[in-house]
Amino acid sequence: MTRRRTALTFWLFVGPFALGLLAFTYVPIVWSAYLSFFDARDTVTPTEFVGVANYLDVLTDRAFLDSIGTFTVFAAFIIPTTVALSLTLALLVNQIRVARAFFRSVYFLPFACSYVVASLVWKMSLFSGVDSGVANTVLGWFGGESQAWIGTVDPPLYWVVLITARLWLQLGFYMILFLAALQRIPEHLYEAAWIDGAAPGWQTFRHITLPGLRGALIAVLTLNLINAYQAFDEFYNILGDSRGYPPFARPPLVYLYYTSLGSGGQDLGRGSAGAIVLALVIALATLLSGRLLRRAN
Amino acid sequence: MGARVDRRSFLVAAGLLGLAGCGSDTGRGGAADGPLRHWYHAYGEDGVQDAVRRYAAAYPGAKVEVQWNPGDYDSKIVTALRAGAVPDIFEAQVKVDWVRQKQVVPLDDLLGDTRDDFVRTLLDSQTVDGALYGIPQAIDTQVLYYRRSLLEKAGIAPPRTVDELVDATKRLTASGVKGLFAGNDGGVGVLTAPLLWSAGLDFLSQDGKAPGFDDPRAATAFGKLRDLNSSLLLGAPTDWSDPGAFVDGLAAMQWTGLWNLPKIVAAHGDDVGVLPFPRLDASGAESVPVGAYSAMVNARSADVVAAKAYVKWLWVDKADHQTEFATAFGAHLPARKSLAAQAEPLRDGPGKEIVEFVTRSGRIASPARWSSRANTALSDAVSRIARQGADPAGELRAALEVARDEIARLDR
Amino acid sequence: MRSVARWTAVAVTAVLFLLPFAVLLREGWSALGQVFDDRDVPFVLSLLNSTVVAVAQTVGQVVLCSLAGYGLARIPYRHAPKVLYAVVATLLVPAAVTFVPAFVVVSSLGWLSDLRGLVVPGLFSAVNVFLFRQYFLDFPVPLEEAGRLDGLSRWGVYWRVVVPNSTGPLAAIAVIDFIGSWNQFLWPLVIAQDSSTWTVQVALSSLLTAQNPRIPLLFAAAAVSLLPIVLVFVVLQRYLVRGVAETGLSGR
Repeated sequence: MTRRRTALTFWLFVGPFALGLLAFTYVPIVWSAYLSFFDARDTVTPTEFVGVANYLDVLTDRAFLDSIGTFTVFAAFIIPTTVALSLTLALLVNQIRVARAFFRSVYFLPFACSYVVASLVWKMSLFSGVDSGVANTVLGWFGGESQAWIGTVDPPLYWVVLITARLWLQLGFYMILFLAALQRIPEHLYEAAWIDGAAPGWQTFRHITLPGLRGALIAVLTLNLINAYQAFDEFYNILGDSRGYPPFARPPLVYLYYTSLGSGGQDLGRGSAGAIVLALVIALATLLSGRLLRRAN
Repeated sequence: MGARVDRRSFLVAAGLLGLAGCGSDTGRGGAADGPLRHWYHAYGEDGVQDAVRRYAAAYPGAKVEVQWNPGDYDSKIVTALRAGAVPDIFEAQVKVDWVRQKQVVPLDDLLGDTRDDFVRTLLDSQTVDGALYGIPQAIDTQVLYYRRSLLEKAGIAPPRTVDELVDATKRLTASGVKGLFAGNDGGVGVLTAPLLWSAGLDFLSQDGKAPGFDDPRAATAFGKLRDLNSSLLLGAPTDWSDPGAFVDGLAAMQWTGLWNLPKIVAAHGDDVGVLPFPRLDASGAESVPVGAYSAMVNARSADVVAAKAYVKWLWVDKADHQTEFATAFGAHLPARKSLAAQAEPLRDGPGKEIVEFVTRSGRIASPARWSSRANTALSDAVSRIARQGADPAGELRAALEVARDEIARLDR
Repeated sequence: MRSVARWTAVAVTAVLFLLPFAVLLREGWSALGQVFDDRDVPFVLSLLNSTVVAVAQTVGQVVLCSLAGYGLARIPYRHAPKVLYAVVATLLVPAAVTFVPAFVVVSSLGWLSDLRGLVVPGLFSAVNVFLFRQYFLDFPVPLEEAGRLDGLSRWGVYWRVVVPNSTGPLAAIAVIDFIGSWNQFLWPLVIAQDSSTWTVQVALSSLLTAQNPRIPLLFAAAAVSLLPIVLVFVVLQRYLVRGVAETGLSGR
């Protein structure tokens, strides 16, 4: 086959995808970088160059900094929790002999549910502020007083709502990842350890299971990290209302949404600058966590 | 730096990518012979949606499609206006930004000799640089509803100052009943304006050239919302704009709209009292916020002339529709003086009192020059003060800064 | 003793995980009949839109991305490594960060409130291409060579030999794509301004953030929206689990 023929065939296969990637990923990124240096209020074809003013704006905007800060803390909390709980689930499911497929399905089922539907259940029923809400009913059994879960800012009870919703939605997915990794660990390693006199339990877990899960752990950590900064759906639907979004627990994406598209000003220059800063923050966090992980190994 | 990439050169680039050809910049293409698209926010009163759809269907001049928009309507309108030709007609309160960006068209020529029949302050509130951009549909206001019996039992007189309101709210809070319901956000959304007015302040100064809350008393006023916080009903199934919490007895008082008067009277009968928002101190004043969603025309509509003709038909000519719209579903004041007499629920009792509040101490709640970004900054500040106990003075300084920037931007 | 503790943990967790579904059904049951004639939100239309979007996106993604993955894995074009690099590089940019600029592009194309705007930008998944490439790298060469000997072109080999022998991985990725597409929220929220293009998630969200949500109806609508996806989940779970386990990259 001639070189030209090969090139033609290659582009026949890859071309349509490559064009799309160019149009809907590369062009937007470049355009966004361009917009971030202009006063692009209410327009996508701005003419007024403003240098780094948009960057200075977002980097001195308390709302934006708060959103980055809050979600760094959020990531620091949700990642270990998710890893610990989904790994526990995977170990449990892996150990039971009867009805294993059933329980695996039950834990995995929330993956099919959208964040919007989960937000509805959490907001209007599980953590509704009225006495008949599920959480308040349970509190009532123990003689506790009803709480306005989402409405209570001090202490920030709304985090209980947001975090339980996210855990419910994502634990099953990560459990499947861990389960697959667990099943890839060769049985003979456990047998050898047993022969060597390693006690079943913590010792085998520490020396056989955990090293075998290394790849899955890295995948779970990275995905979780990126997802923590990209949180939007349940935050918007649980805390947002017909008048907008309160100033707390505001994810970077909610900030970007209101800044560039919502009632917050239609400021695409500022929104683009914010998007680029966010991309850098995520890249940096991913890099740092990778470094830490490697050192821990 | 004269670097310019205009839309055409982008489309050329996109064309090279094989993407253009089916695109235009007008949202849905907006063929001039298509139906007119008319957007409303979602009214909570039963029957409004049926009525506005009925009006649209009855219009002889064109086919009109009504879209009902639950959720964050204000954000939606802003994005839609930026994006293109849909909707052709919508209800909102005019913003100077929309006029500056030429997103809405002047409607002065629709009024003709009915101009004097519209309530003057409403027209003024929809006027920017001397041109009218919205035809007021009906007057909305909000008041404090209270249960007479509950106040009497607790030995409390109807509150006339903010301190009395705080005190009453605390004392009315008992097991299963909260003192006051002013929204699940702790009153931040609906009480910000009345609190400013209670201290004799406002969003903007008289001439509109400066923020109107550069005063330590603003901090004092918002501090009161913090005092209220622990006795407010939060986490109710429906928000402030619905009478549910008050009707079901979850709160002894509720700040909500005049429109809920019929449902509230149906539930509690003579036990209902109404009050304007009280004053903070001697230099402040009682107030009720006055707002009027007004019909506007999108400048990028595929057929501005047809859209304007429809607005004229519905909101200027069809007095019977306007009366029904204002009075048949919930209680609203008609925007026109000649129709006001027909407002049945407002002739006596609490309804009559509320009409008096509007006349005596009604204030425009959403000035055109008060931008959404300034509003977000202020309501963020109030939220932090009221809900998180942040330092009022410091929070307000930050909000003032944003408000000044925004005002300067509008005048640039 | 240990197994009692283990079973208790398993059972209690299972109850907790099923509770939200039970709540959904309990709260929505009474209003199930009204879902389809509600007028506040064009719910039936939104279900239809979601179906169109999810099906088109799934089919389009699988076709485009598997083709590209195959090309990158098997066609010895000298610039192929550079192209692969350009694809993988986009994985480093979180998808949601590009929603503002992608919105700009889509609005310039006039695709706001248009099903094209909902479907097309989501077709080009670098993750899927990468996964398909990894898979095709391991595809048995002898099978392909047999096809070539029978006189098939590359294109013919792909459709007649590779695809029929790869239904498992194709299905696995398709199921994940379908669920992801059905459940996506931010992009449709931004693009579908006009209610005629709302997807079911946008319709539900507008009801949920409304001033006066009608709660039983809202739950009933949510239950209905969940039905197709649970069906897909249950019927195709084998592929789903496999897809997640093998790829692990489509986390939300």
